[in-house]
Amino acid sequence: MTSPRSNRRRRFRETLIGLAWTSPWLVGSALFVFLPMAMSLYYSFTDFPLIEPPIWTGTSNYARMGDDPTFLRVVHNTAIYAAFSIPLCTILGVSLAALLQGRVRFARFFRACIFIPTLVPLVAVAMVWMWLFNGEFGFINQALSRIGIKGPAWIVDASWVMPSMIIMSLWSVGQSVVIYTAAMQDVPRHLYEAARLDGMTAFQRFRHVTVPMISPAILFNVIVMTINAVQVFAVPYVMFRRPDGQNPAGHFYTMYLYENAFVYGQMGYACAMAWLQLLIILALTGAMFLASRKLVYYRGA
Amino acid sequence: MSTQPAIRDLTRRAALGTLAAGGLGFALFGPRTERQASARGRIVLDYWEKWTRHEGEAMQAVVNAFNASQDRIFVRYFVTADIGQKSLVAIAGGDPPDLIGLYAFNVPPYAESGALTPLDDIAPPHGVTIDRYALGVRQVMQHKGQWWATVNTAGSVALYYNRALFREAGLDPDRPPRTIAELDEYHNRLVRKSASGRLERVGFFHPEPGWWSWLWAYHFGGRIYDPAADRSLVASAENIRAMEWMQSYSRSLGVDECKAFRESFGNYFTPENPFLTGKVAMIVQGPWVANLVGAFKPDLDYGVAPFPVAEGLYDPAAPIGLIDTDVLVIPKGARHPEASMEFVAWTQRQDMTELLATKHCKPSPLAQASPEFIVNHPNRGISVHYDIFRSPRAFIPPPTRVWQQFKDEFDTVVQRLWRLEVEPAKALPALETRTQGLLDRARDERLRRHGAAS
Repeated sequence: MTSPRSNRRRRFRETLIGLAWTSPWLVGSALFVFLPMAMSLYYSFTDFPLIEPPIWTGTSNYARMGDDPTFLRVVHNTAIYAAFSIPLCTILGVSLAALLQGRVRFARFFRACIFIPTLVPLVAVAMVWMWLFNGEFGFINQALSRIGIKGPAWIVDASWVMPSMIIMSLWSVGQSVVIYTAAMQDVPRHLYEAARLDGMTAFQRFRHVTVPMISPAILFNVIVMTINAVQVFAVPYVMFRRPDGQNPAGHFYTMYLYENAFVYGQMGYACAMAWLQLLIILALTGAMFLASRKLVYYRGA
Repeated sequence: MSTQPAIRDLTRRAALGTLAAGGLGFALFGPRTERQASARGRIVLDYWEKWTRHEGEAMQAVVNAFNASQDRIFVRYFVTADIGQKSLVAIAGGDPPDLIGLYAFNVPPYAESGALTPLDDIAPPHGVTIDRYALGVRQVMQHKGQWWATVNTAGSVALYYNRALFREAGLDPDRPPRTIAELDEYHNRLVRKSASGRLERVGFFHPEPGWWSWLWAYHFGGRIYDPAADRSLVASAENIRAMEWMQSYSRSLGVDECKAFRESFGNYFTPENPFLTGKVAMIVQGPWVANLVGAFKPDLDYGVAPFPVAEGLYDPAAPIGLIDTDVLVIPKGARHPEASMEFVAWTQRQDMTELLATKHCKPSPLAQASPEFIVNHPNRGISVHYDIFRSPRAFIPPPTRVWQQFKDEFDTVVQRLWRLEVEPAKALPALETRTQGLLDRARDERLRRHGAAS
């Protein structure tokens, strides 16, 4: 029998050892994540041109957003992009994963083909798509011209910039296909057998068995895609920022945030934008979790 | 039973011992930086510059010559992409390089923020005085009465035209257009369309290369910014006329045709540059275009002239033209400002400026150039660029700290104007309000920070 005092001492010693072994992560997170976050929160209430010390200006940076037409434009563009790209990517991802579940020859090969594009660096992706979308020599317009359709100036024409961005977002669908595939393989076979005995068609089995059973994976993917869509940066920055200026239709939230921070020297305003972006992402994620209570089925929950 | 704790203790000790030994070994025998290896007791200066390829090699040659010329200072040349942003972060972080090669438009914001070392006192003892520079170039070096930057290369912007295409269109290649009306006439003569109506060639095309969408107002006798009053003038009558003139091109060529035509252009420094391929017969460009020609189409027969001006403004003795330069600055917080100035003085010697200018295919920024430099210069029209340098009507990018944002706003509206989505008389007053808002906010911030003295 050990005394309560020696037990306490042992627990204290174990806690110390635990803290010591986790200290690299704790110190690293404190120094390189939480401290910069706290500083950026402070800067968001200041006028901070980066090369001069910040000066407290209260909530003026936040108030300014409402009067800044460029800010309103990038919010609008980002919202439209997210509203179309997330559902499209989800539908395509689930559909491809479902198709590859069946008795498809070379299913592994096709899965690899769908996943490989996600390994290509984003700047390279943007360069490739710039050529695919080129109005004169691009593959897409050349293909359209073969069937008698005159393709638009995809990445120049303001009305086609957003559709081209949304089409491009499908490029990275492979990552979610892998997750959906894993989730579908985890669906108990007896549920399908029962559904078949009940006379369900293939579509009904997909609708009433597969989708509910993989709904946690869908929720996870939608949250990740929402975060990525709200933060979209590299591809439009490469594609739509030309020598004669930014194509307004291809101007997104994080691009404007970056410009304010490092081009216009308005770090305070950029920090305010970053915090608003974080709040938007948190609110959207919270809303999705709330909705998931009714829409997502957790086995064993 | 008895071995278990012993093994755990031993593993822990071994882990800590290995970490400590590794750290000690790295400290004692780890890689040495280039600074330590190459300095050999000299003062080491870090120089960040944006140039790559032949331009970077030319600057490296100047640096090498300096390093070989003495044994007190050693300069390390670092090619730095996005130099404006990286310099900003480095200065803000309190660890700037000793020298930075920036753009002219960086000078006002950096100077106003106290991020640069003023040169008024430290340059003259090294033989660098402002009166050595060409008249137009001096505007870039100073801001609000103080001297902040030296100019390592400078260019002025002129009209480059394809002489062979002029001859083909029945135009005199020795008589380039002088006025906007003549430019229009030449353009119309040079436009060529395919049987299906697609554009194959134009005389002049405003969005190519699109780097200076704001300069047309100056060639109509106006300007877009008044530095004395800190006023935006983008809705001036001259700028409205200039933008209406720009729209007359997209209107006559067809907006959709222009979009498709432009997509057929290659990037600037490629053989598919539309000036090289003959798709655009006249472009507004700096002297460095001769390097482009030399690299990809040495047999291109081109001519150079001051960019045309509106009726009544033509004066061959005082051409209107933009001066755009690269500047060399010593940031505040640089460890060795005196040594840095010694290197700056080296780069500003006549032989070094001419070496650099020849390789960059630009005029020398100095007021005097050697006869050999002019004779052997790779750009056949270099004298035109000198004429602009010396002209009292030469102008520089608006010297305001918000120029980057001002220009982005301006470019966005110009794109819409080019596509005929808005009318200049409506869009430009709204743009003026917005750009004036940027100027006012910047002024208020200066006042809040530095008081009336700013």
